[in-house]
Amino acid sequence: MRRNEKYWFTLPALTVIGIIVVFPLTYNIYMGLHSWFVAGGASPRWVGLNNYVKIMKDPRFWNSMRVTFLFSIGALVLETLLGTSLALFLNREFRGKNLVKLLFLFPIASTPVAVSLIWGMMYNYDLGIINIAIQALGFEPQLWLASPKMVIPSLIFADAWQWTPLILLIVLASLESLPTDPFESAKVDGAHIFQVIRYITLPMIQPAIIAAAMIRSIDAIKTFDMIYVMTQGGPDIASENLNLYIFQTGFSYFRMGAASSLAIILFTIVLAVNVLLAITRKSGDLS
Amino acid sequence: MKRTIMFFTMIALIALLAFPIMAQGQQEAEDAGPEVVGFDWQSRSGETIKIMANKHPWVDIIEPKIGEFEAMTGIKVELAVYPEDQFRTKRTVEMVSGASDVDVFMLMPGNSLAQYYQAGWVAPLDDLMASESFLWPEYDLDDIFSSALDAGVKEDKHYTIPILLETSLLSYNKEIFEKYDVAVPTTMEELEAAAKKIYEGSNGQIYGITLRGKKAAATSQWVDFLHSFGGEWLEGDKSGLGTEAAIAATDYYGRLLRLYGPKSAPSNSWYEAISIFMQGKAAMVYDASVFKPNYEDPTKSEVAGKVGYAVIPAGPAGSIPHISNWALSLYSKSDNKEAAWLFVQWATSKDIALEGLLAGIPSARNSAWDSSEFKDNDTTPEWTAASIASYEVASPIWNPPVIPVGECRDAAGSAIVASILGEDVRAASLAAEKTMNDILANQ
Repeated sequence: MRRNEKYWFTLPALTVIGIIVVFPLTYNIYMGLHSWFVAGGASPRWVGLNNYVKIMKDPRFWNSMRVTFLFSIGALVLETLLGTSLALFLNREFRGKNLVKLLFLFPIASTPVAVSLIWGMMYNYDLGIINIAIQALGFEPQLWLASPKMVIPSLIFADAWQWTPLILLIVLASLESLPTDPFESAKVDGAHIFQVIRYITLPMIQPAIIAAAMIRSIDAIKTFDMIYVMTQGGPDIASENLNLYIFQTGFSYFRMGAASSLAIILFTIVLAVNVLLAITRKSGDLS
Repeated sequence: MKRTIMFFTMIALIALLAFPIMAQGQQEAEDAGPEVVGFDWQSRSGETIKIMANKHPWVDIIEPKIGEFEAMTGIKVELAVYPEDQFRTKRTVEMVSGASDVDVFMLMPGNSLAQYYQAGWVAPLDDLMASESFLWPEYDLDDIFSSALDAGVKEDKHYTIPILLETSLLSYNKEIFEKYDVAVPTTMEELEAAAKKIYEGSNGQIYGITLRGKKAAATSQWVDFLHSFGGEWLEGDKSGLGTEAAIAATDYYGRLLRLYGPKSAPSNSWYEAISIFMQGKAAMVYDASVFKPNYEDPTKSEVAGKVGYAVIPAGPAGSIPHISNWALSLYSKSDNKEAAWLFVQWATSKDIALEGLLAGIPSARNSAWDSSEFKDNDTTPEWTAASIASYEVASPIWNPPVIPVGECRDAAGSAIVASILGEDVRAASLAAEKTMNDILANQ
């Protein structure tokens, strides 16, 4: 009995995980092997791997993969660069530092739907404030969300507004907890500020940057709310990422089997990115 | 502290005491049910019905009056209102789950009845419509436009009761038409010439026309151009999106927006399209007749009082607008169908229809249009005349008459967006046709 005690103690946690993680996932994999067009009230029909074969031949799926990666990589690079630079800049003592940190919390604390509605209005070609502002500066108004070429950069920019502060705050916290002696030695040795950042600061805060990037990349790959509210994947399918395509397939077209297969693909991608970043982090090698 | 404890104890005691009384009340209501002879609003007193509605001007009219219905019938009403896209999804998910406790929901028969009927989610209403105990003697079913009532018929049974009957109209800004010396267009050629004259005459400051361009949302207005050019959603049981008539219609629709419309057209749904018109930035808009109150509301619209209304201009196949209607249906698994039916009758009664029409919601009841109260208070007789003229020539089809409606609308929407963006319309239409045929083969 004594020996098995540890298993008994983990049982409640395992039960919860079983109910909220293992069961839905297994059921999803199972449903992904069926064709189930619920709109007609029909029952699921076993089709084996047929859904996946169809997905591989589906140009709309490959479009959604392209959008997912363009959006995620764009958002991740922009947010990490901006967030880290801002953190390095803010990592000093000045009056009102806490106020600045608090202000950076606002975008994160706002609900994504409200933020997206406001960005959507600001991007509006005829009525939005961004076009009014750039016209006042003498530039041509831009289509932003209405042009297939501009829509992804526009979405990345809105995403960066909301999520750069997350990276900034994580990196800043790490910067503030660094020991001071390496910097003092560097100063004594006459190192230039850029040398200090390149050879001392960045290597020391690297784990924090990777952790922040990991959180953001997973979120970016799964983005739904922002794109749904601002463009619903449009114009046509120019900004339809994988998660949006899953939603359309499942809840607009009511093809639950195909949607389950797509969800499994998204899950695999998120898992792979996680594993990749975990490995990178362990090996501790960025360069 | 002590007082707080006392307070909660009191509340708990009151609740305990009241419980048997409430339970008894419910018991009585259940007993009263079967004994009813003749119509009585109170016959289902004590029951609770759940209603699922989408955000619509009609709901804004009945929502504040629900208290009157509750007082008259003793039925408690729980109304849940959702924005349209979410409403459609939520309604279907509730039905699929099979565990919904909803009793009444809004439905557009032209959009969803085929699906809801096949899945068995809607209850036939014929027994209630003929029931001595539950048909309100003053309800007057014959007063409802037969086209609207028939839209809810499947295999000789009624499944929906219309709350309004709408069509689409060409609305134009009279001031701009006068300034640029343009006559109301009666053909598609005249429409394009008018749009061009205004757009070029104003150096692109005023758009000739604004229309929906956002994929699936655009199809419900584009379809009138499709029909007027001689196209159809279906040729036999295959997609008709690749026919010459359909390609011509899609090309025309996209060209109007690309050359003389707002640049943002591909991301504009009805809201953006009519907003541009209401700001006086576009000379014309072709969209649903229900938006008249928006155009004519001086607090929201800069064109109030300057708008003229006309039937869609004629294409090679004539002027063919569509009619569509929102309706109420009963959930087939509802336990309170009689109470729900009482609500449906109240909500679609002559009084409410007239009140709706006075607020600009095109009624599905003859009596409302015919009433002297409406005729005397009609501030936009042009809209009234155009609506009635449009009803007379309209097609009841505006969605693809198939079960996977959303998917087929998206397929057609892709071709419309391609046309607006100036891509190869023929290739896009043929691709849409193929996608639609694949969808139909894969139901």
